[in-house]
Amino acid sequence: MPQSAAITVEKLSKTYQVSEREGGFSAAVRSFFKRTYRDVRAVDTVSFQIEPSEVVGFLGPNGAGKTTTLKMLSGLLHPTGGQARVLGYTPWELKREYLSSMTLVMGQRNRLSWDIPAADSFLLNQAIYRLPDADFKRTLAELDELLDLKEIIKKPVRNLSLGERMKCELAAGLLHRPKVLFLDEPTIGLDITAQVRIREFLKEYNRRSGATILLTSHYMADVTALCERVIIIHQGKLKYDGGLNDLARKIAPFKLIGVRLGDSAAHDLSRYGKPAQADEESEMSFIEVRADQVTLVTARLLADLPVHDITITDPPIESVIEQAFNG
Amino acid sequence: MKNTLCLIKVFLQVNLQMSLAYRADTVINLLLNLMWLGWELLSLSIIFSNTKTLGGWGVGELITLLGVFRLVNTLMAALLWPATEKFNASVRDGSMDYTLLQPANSLFLVTFARITVWRIWDLVLAVILVVAGTFMSGAGTSPLSLLYFVVLTLSGVLIIYSLWVVLIALTFWFTKFDNNVTILAALLDAGRYPSTVYPAWLRIIVTFVVPIALATTVPVQALRGELGGQQVLIFLAVSAASLLVASQVWKYGIRQYSGASS
Repeated sequence: MPQSAAITVEKLSKTYQVSEREGGFSAAVRSFFKRTYRDVRAVDTVSFQIEPSEVVGFLGPNGAGKTTTLKMLSGLLHPTGGQARVLGYTPWELKREYLSSMTLVMGQRNRLSWDIPAADSFLLNQAIYRLPDADFKRTLAELDELLDLKEIIKKPVRNLSLGERMKCELAAGLLHRPKVLFLDEPTIGLDITAQVRIREFLKEYNRRSGATILLTSHYMADVTALCERVIIIHQGKLKYDGGLNDLARKIAPFKLIGVRLGDSAAHDLSRYGKPAQADEESEMSFIEVRADQVTLVTARLLADLPVHDITITDPPIESVIEQAFNG
Repeated sequence: MKNTLCLIKVFLQVNLQMSLAYRADTVINLLLNLMWLGWELLSLSIIFSNTKTLGGWGVGELITLLGVFRLVNTLMAALLWPATEKFNASVRDGSMDYTLLQPANSLFLVTFARITVWRIWDLVLAVILVVAGTFMSGAGTSPLSLLYFVVLTLSGVLIIYSLWVVLIALTFWFTKFDNNVTILAALLDAGRYPSTVYPAWLRIIVTFVVPIALATTVPVQALRGELGGQQVLIFLAVSAASLLVASQVWKYGIRQYSGASS
């Protein structure tokens, strides 16, 4: 028997009605009595399939419909059109068997109680998910081994650093050993060390448990470290579904070189590459340069100009996607 | 059922730990409560130094009523007010999402999310008042009227609980509706005295609109032997129906939440 897909999404759509008004007092009064609504198509006939134990990056600029899609797949939102099956269930029916085999972790929301140590919240989870003692202890030991939780789960959550809290949030979401993980910005706001730690954890967790993971992130490093495949949506529509390598080649075959120059004279950087957004604060000017030309251009810049500071970075995910599909 | 009890046990444990974390708060609250009880008894004794009965009720019966009132009050203060606070916050900050995605009844999770555990002490006080009052009013309390009393107290509490569920579920439609239980809290105090002492309009409100009297006056009326089995059955049916309606409203509320939030 062929193994069926873990997640199947078919022409999934979600339209919101949002009330809108112009700024100002009189508009506020008018809208109090008579609201005008506008339909916003947050997700527009999106289809894809994800196989068991795949790790897929779900990308798109802010407001592209990522979170809305994750919420539909986890069962929080009813779609206005289309179908989705996860592990054979229709998510928004909120069947207990389904809820017990998936998890949604949102980097910007708290699942854990603020006033008590995470260990106590874990006990609550154990009761809610009806986990036998032995299983619960084994999972917790394993999560502790991977995330080094022992000390931090004894402190009240409000006393934890953001990174420590995220570890606990992830652990809380994984105690019931879900087969499907929806992760919405799991590394947001964390420092580099904590990001790397979470990334390594997810990789190892996926390897050990064979869980299917669909994650969104603004950090390219998250995606490159974890996902071989990415799905990109923009303005609610699916724009790309395929290998990460192809994406980089196809969409972002360039890097950003930023320079801060020692004199105030206006130098024309467009000779070296396509000028990009400058950063006022650090007085850096940026240019886009094809990946294979970076060394060459850097050498030329250093030779030609009074360079005080230079950085070479990947273009931010947002701008890559924006550029690829808008430009 | 076993799972439900187990869940309640863990909820209690966790909340006990939370209360213990705030020691001073717990001690002060215990003392404040004793003070309130003293004040309430004092005001009763002032009333009865001037008159023999209040709306036809003797001092023993009023102490029983005070006990029942405090029972209802305690359930509110220990369970429903903290749950309301947590619920309103979780709808606003989105952590409601996590509650809905847990494999357990969401209304149950919302109800028992926060328990002010030290209120257990109030419950004990309330029961003492009920027992003492019943003894004071003396003869005439048959085992049957005692049974009616217990049944009616429970059904009255369920009716008030249902009203609470409907009120907080409205938050799903309005998103920002922090005053959702204000009317309940404001009228709760009316349960302190028998509804028969109030003017007709207020009596109608506390019986039908915000049915505090159903959980306070009515059970004590049964204890006084004023109610028959048929009436008790009607109250039971009403409480079952209101619970049913409330859980349906809750379900629609969740659907609404799922449809509108982003």
